[in-house]
Amino acid sequence: MAIVFDGVTKAFPDGTVALHALDLAFDPGEFLVLLGPSGSGKTTACRLLAGLERPTAGRIMVEDQDVTNLPPRLRGMGMVFQNYALYSHKSVYENIAYPLRIRKMAGAEIDRSVRAMAELLEIGRYLDRRPSQLSGGQAQRVAVARALVWQPSLCLMDEPLSNLDALLRLHMRTELKRLHRELKKTFVFVTHDQEEAMTLATRVAVLREGSLIQFDDPREIYRRPANRFIAEFIGRPAMNTFDGTVRGGVFHADGFTCPLPGRPDGPVVLGIRPEQIQIVDASAGDSARFAVDVVEAVEPDVLIFARSQASKLIVRTASDDRAFKPGQPLHLRFPANALHVFDATSGARLP
Amino acid sequence: MIDQSTNRAWRRFAWAVLLVAVVVALTPYVWMLLASFKNRVDLLSSVPKWVFTPTLSNYPAVFIDKEYWPLAINSVLISVSSTVLCILIGAPAAYGFARADFPGKEDLFFFFLTTRMAPPISIAVPLFLFFTALGLIDTIYAVVIAHTSFNLSLVVWMMRGFFAEIPKEIDEAAMMDGRSRLGAFFFVVAPLAAPGIGATAVLCFILSWNEFLYAFILVAFEGRPLTVGIPGLVTPHGTLWGQVAAVAIVATLPIVLFTFLVQKQLVRGLTFGAVKG
Repeated sequence: MAIVFDGVTKAFPDGTVALHALDLAFDPGEFLVLLGPSGSGKTTACRLLAGLERPTAGRIMVEDQDVTNLPPRLRGMGMVFQNYALYSHKSVYENIAYPLRIRKMAGAEIDRSVRAMAELLEIGRYLDRRPSQLSGGQAQRVAVARALVWQPSLCLMDEPLSNLDALLRLHMRTELKRLHRELKKTFVFVTHDQEEAMTLATRVAVLREGSLIQFDDPREIYRRPANRFIAEFIGRPAMNTFDGTVRGGVFHADGFTCPLPGRPDGPVVLGIRPEQIQIVDASAGDSARFAVDVVEAVEPDVLIFARSQASKLIVRTASDDRAFKPGQPLHLRFPANALHVFDATSGARLP
Repeated sequence: MIDQSTNRAWRRFAWAVLLVAVVVALTPYVWMLLASFKNRVDLLSSVPKWVFTPTLSNYPAVFIDKEYWPLAINSVLISVSSTVLCILIGAPAAYGFARADFPGKEDLFFFFLTTRMAPPISIAVPLFLFFTALGLIDTIYAVVIAHTSFNLSLVVWMMRGFFAEIPKEIDEAAMMDGRSRLGAFFFVVAPLAAPGIGATAVLCFILSWNEFLYAFILVAFEGRPLTVGIPGLVTPHGTLWGQVAAVAIVATLPIVLFTFLVQKQLVRGLTFGAVKG
């Protein structure tokens, strides 16, 4: 394990505790995504790794070296900021060259490195411009080039795509993935966007209120969410969850029941992904009857918002949206292998 | 049509107000300029004379015969030194106020401002005793230190806004790029704040250049700036108005030129804090 957070706690002077004893270890070459809602401590974790903040307790290790108290310049990491943080009084070329100038690299070598990096990020045409003459996407590319031009072993990105418009964000996302593959460096990427996390990461660390609640590859996080919070956070739309009770191998919720064999009696939370719910005929057994509320065509799929008394759910299906009318009955089956069960009080996943 | 004519009337009114303001502001200066070229008879005539035969004798009489030219050098030395000191000390302090967070920050910041709230004369005697004890009385060092100490609060007050306007991610980017915190300040933040630093420096320079009270109290002979030289022209045989005007013109000329050169930045610098709140 090359990069290790060892019991790292960060409390700010105003009393907020941004991180509670974070333990996290990941390998060089990973694309690690720190994912969480605002206030989860993901940005703090990133800034602690950068050296822009000092932890209140705990250690941060990089390649067996304790970097906890090293200033940023001695950590060998590049960083991309959400607001780009370009030097407005320097040209694009000088912005990218700046880390090399600080390191007193020879002029010819600087020129070669800057142009190569600009080429890689497709900003070669803008080198003579000022940052104020760039669009958001171009400015973010310059920021990425500046962070990577001096070949740091690790590149930190704090919500780098949040200020870009939707289309550009998708494009930059793909670019970052390609960049990671070509440069073979460690990327640490902070985001609140689960889609960015799922598409970019080799592994995702999900944070909530300063604690790590799941650390796994995106596939596992999607298929085996560690608790109810992650289940309801990941996926678009997120997982349907129902509060209810198990009695004699059957889950009872408000408005429907569902077989749940092999579970002890008691309150639990049942979860199922919208795309795994099956729409069946009224005659089919083991189905629950819901009523269609709203139908949204998110081509090529259809989202059906349905309810039965207080229970609401979303179904994602590839059927024709015109087949569903508000108010009409909808018979649904929840396949046993698609069900997730969580503890009713703690929200933790039950095996 | 009505709109246009009322509009025109308003414009005429505005021009009239501006004209009055300009006349009120400029008349004394123009009168002083004329006075510096008048002989004693023209100066003291009971009916103000706008037309007269100009004489150039006042300038050499005071600057060469009375050896006032070193006073101009003193003025420059004092203003430049105190301005440089103010910026060197004040800019890092303002940067600290803009970036760092520490208990009592706003109180300390307000304390800086209060140092300018007392009437200057109230600390004149302590200041005199202080510099006497240090053996600096009647040297330009005393004046430089006095000017620096009372302009410093202004520098910190103004520059904090300029630094606060620069996103803190700029400092952090510079640190990630390989600078120390101090390096980030000197090589990245300070150049970005250069227009603000310039405006502040100009204001410091003007305030120090125009200052009379402390200079008058702290130096009597060697280190006198121009402002202190003028009262020396009030002699037992009467006030030498022509020479007073000549010194005053030389003393105000750099300020007038300076203000014309940098008026845009100066207004921005002065209104900055007000807008930012």
